Amino acid sequence: MSERKVIASALSGATLTGHDAGGIDYQPIAIMPDVRVVKIGGQSVMDRGRAALFPILDEIVAARREGIQVVVLVGGGTRARHIYSIASELEMPVGVMATLGKYIPMQNARMVQMLLAKHGGLYILPDDFEKLPLYLQLGCLPVMSGMPPFGYWEKREEGSRIPPHRTDAGVFLSAEFLGARRAIFIKDEEGLYTDDPKKNPAATHIPRISVAELTARDLPDLVVERVVVEYLPRARACKELQIVNGTRPGQVLAALRGEDAGTIIHA
Amino acid sequence: MTKLVGGDGRTHITSTLMRESLQDRKVTAGTDSDRDVHIFPDAALVGIGGQSIFDRGKDAILPLVDEIAAVKAGGKHMVIGVGGGTRVRHTVSIALDLGLPVGGIAQLIGAMEELNASLLNTLLARHGSMPMQRDHFWDLPLYFASGILPIAISIPPYHLWEPPPDEGVLPMHGSDFGLFQLAEVLSMGQLIFVKDQDGLYDKDPAHHADARHIPHLTLEELLAAPPPTNILDEELFRAWASARNVRKVQIVNGLKPGMLSAALRGEPVGTVISKETP
Repeated sequence: MSERKVIASALSGATLTGHDAGGIDYQPIAIMPDVRVVKIGGQSVMDRGRAALFPILDEIVAARREGIQVVVLVGGGTRARHIYSIASELEMPVGVMATLGKYIPMQNARMVQMLLAKHGGLYILPDDFEKLPLYLQLGCLPVMSGMPPFGYWEKREEGSRIPPHRTDAGVFLSAEFLGARRAIFIKDEEGLYTDDPKKNPAATHIPRISVAELTARDLPDLVVERVVVEYLPRARACKELQIVNGTRPGQVLAALRGEDAGTIIHA
Repeated sequence: MTKLVGGDGRTHITSTLMRESLQDRKVTAGTDSDRDVHIFPDAALVGIGGQSIFDRGKDAILPLVDEIAAVKAGGKHMVIGVGGGTRVRHTVSIALDLGLPVGGIAQLIGAMEELNASLLNTLLARHGSMPMQRDHFWDLPLYFASGILPIAISIPPYHLWEPPPDEGVLPMHGSDFGLFQLAEVLSMGQLIFVKDQDGLYDKDPAHHADARHIPHLTLEELLAAPPPTNILDEELFRAWASARNVRKVQIVNGLKPGMLSAALRGEPVGTVISKETP
């Protein structure tokens, strides 16, 4: 009978179907640890238009002028909700839903690129990630969709047709790949409160919370996608999520400088 | 009637998800139903193992090529996916030693599968095969109608965005998982993995002469008591548990002539894993 022609390696006998990594001493390196990966929210920022977006872009440009390397990812918002709603009625598989979900963050990223062009804004695709060192050394501001490229290969989450990995996941996973310690999310709220501040004036802001504490609260709603909260404790590099209020002047710049602002969720 | 809604500083389009948080389980539950639209229910997806078939070279590959060509000539609608085998293992062991992040490792695997896709296509081209970019499957009606057999790589396009694994250091979303998701999203009627053993055993047959072959088991049984050496990705079974369309996964021995053809005819050869719960 024919024999397998095997290249000798620590994994040559491994099935790769499970967790056995042949006892290799894995010491992960950080690819570009100084890069700030920041998300501009779709519903929370883009759908507010000029009034919300322009001051945020001013702070991103200011950070870039200080020499801070920034990669901007953009979310979807109300048009994403609209297509998810219609596609759900048509009983589209989750992989098709995820592929439909790619287009609106792309549009929003293109809008942001047009606005940032005079300051070095560049629209990039996932395949351009390996060129980030060039773009960043030239002082550019790469802008891309926050959607990870899973598309048709997105898994179904029990009880839902919405793709579990959307633009929050893409931002977190981008930061994790690049070796950045934090993923920054620009929204229209300060982050987390003890209660809904719009309904309860006694609600207080939470500046810092662990995933364990957040999970223990068993909230019906969450400030970021559930998969991100699931992945954070097992991340190698990105151990913190920072949620800042883009409608509050100075918060975005503070976050890009690496300062604590808004709410930090840590592993 | 679609209209724009303002008043909270945002501009919304009316829809059932308007203003809603997509993290809210009550909201997302409204998007679900008990079925998906079915896309290619009559097609079969055949995954050919890298280590188990391609790494054995000519003696294993050529008889399988003849068998696939014969089935294709009978008009069967198929897509072929290929694995990367020992070169993937070598790549991953070097990449782990270098300390590349898991997304960097995931990014590298597809190239090793492309080599096997090229080999297989070169051998099958005269029978009417073509390489297919893995996400170009909206071309499949054209391929099927014109009798073309598409050949694609198997690894899913998670690339640099591969999530951190739940345990250990290896990427979770491997080639078997990739083929599973392809069959799932396209609701393909058959998913058959071609390996170098007859399917699942209660013990590793390479090391135990008394290993007993398992002709049939359910996904539920498999998840409750996983076999000691799993020849398919663990993530495949986890994803299958919450999936909707794939009802059956079959594993056949590509070194035994006729076994793949029998499976494609719908015969329960090798090991058949079926999902009982909806």
